[in-house]
Amino acid sequence: MHEFSLVQGLMGQLETLAAENGAERILLVTMEIGPFSGVVVDSFRFGFEALAPLTPLTRNARLIVLQLPQRYGCRDCDNEQDMDGDARPEDCPCCGSREIFPLGADDVVLRQVEME
Amino acid sequence: MCDACGCVHEDNHEHQESGTRKRVDVHESLFEANRAKARENRKHFDGRGLVVINMISSPGSGKTTLLEKTIDTLGNEIRIGVIEGDIETERDAERIRAKGVPAVQLTPGGACHLDAAQVHRGLHLLEQERGGEDIRLLFIENVGNLVCPAAFDLGEHQRMVALSVPEGSDKPAKYPKAFGTSQLFLISKTDLLPYFDFSLEEARREALLINPDLETIECSTVSGEGFDQWLDWLRRLCAA
Ligand SMILES: Nc1nc2c(ncn2[C@@H]2O[C@H](COP(=O)(O)OP(=O)(O)OP(=O)(O)O)[C@@H](O)[C@H]2O)c(=O)[nH]1
Ligand SMILES: [Mg+2]
Ligand SMILES: [Zn+2]
Ligand SMILES: [Zn+2]
Ligand SMILES: [Zn+2]
Ligand SMILES: [Zn+2]
Repeated sequence: MHEFSLVQGLMGQLETLAAENGAERILLVTMEIGPFSGVVVDSFRFGFEALAPLTPLTRNARLIVLQLPQRYGCRDCDNEQDMDGDARPEDCPCCGSREIFPLGADDVVLRQVEME
Repeated sequence: MCDACGCVHEDNHEHQESGTRKRVDVHESLFEANRAKARENRKHFDGRGLVVINMISSPGSGKTTLLEKTIDTLGNEIRIGVIEGDIETERDAERIRAKGVPAVQLTPGGACHLDAAQVHRGLHLLEQERGGEDIRLLFIENVGNLVCPAAFDLGEHQRMVALSVPEGSDKPAKYPKAFGTSQLFLISKTDLLPYFDFSLEEARREALLINPDLETIECSTVSGEGFDQWLDWLRRLCAA
């Protein structure tokens, strides 16, 4: 459950952002969570819903999570394919190669904040 | 992308641009705070001439046993220290101290990984242990878990992922981040190969697909097979 400690870090960031922008309330927080980040989106939401109401700044904040697709590359050609859920491709639809590897998107990024 | 306002969310929402409502694009990783601490650690390590290895694996892959044997053979040659990241107990640190090597136990209290700030604290605690002042080679035995520790840079120079034969050779494919961010892949408990359906070929192939630069060592602390290769890897790191 390091999702909780990540959300704690997020709350700190929101405080700083609000202060920098002279805002008193955070309305909307948009996160981008990569499929290979090791972060469970439901746990992250749970953490947000638990921590946000604890301060007036974030009491009414809504969370939007943009989930990036699981993307796989091919070593034999430059093809990239996206997969749904946890499925992993068997081979490359382009050249048939089985040399498939996971690509990028292993980060958890605060994209946008709406405040007033 | 929302056409009305260019915002990144797609659900229906009101756009009462009341003048006080403000949208700020940020693009900042939640891991950045840890990365900053990790960079400090790395300076700290370099300043003290430490070579630091972050050991990641599932519980029970044989990390502490490997450290015990390593201290037995290399302890007189290279000054070793250990930071242990067990969840609840002091047991692993006690096993290391019994070998006459300075060790501290961080007990993250139910957490699933070590972070850079904890390791910084651990480093200072280690300095207070007998012999903790002049270590050359520092092992960090991370919390047993193939997912979470992979996401947290500790400032280490080398990351190793260990996989023991009973766990199965499909693990690299299932835990790409641990294998993708490591420099060394240690396949442990190879004395058990005759008893398990473990394909060395599959494990190596899957790991190399994720990370073509990954070095692989197969090793057993029971039969001693591959152990010299492990020691040589450590010697090379410390000679550099
Ligand atoms: N057969 C075999 N057993 C081993 C080997 N290395 C360790 N073991 C056994 O595996 C078990 C776990 O070993 P540990 O060294 O405690 O493993 P660990 O990774 O430190 O475990 P945690 O810290 O609890 O995650 C012990 O019973 C060891 O005796 C090996 O090379 N071969
Ligand atoms: Mg151990
Ligand atoms: Zn976790
Ligand atoms: Zn292809
Ligand atoms: Zn909008
Ligand atoms: Zn310090």
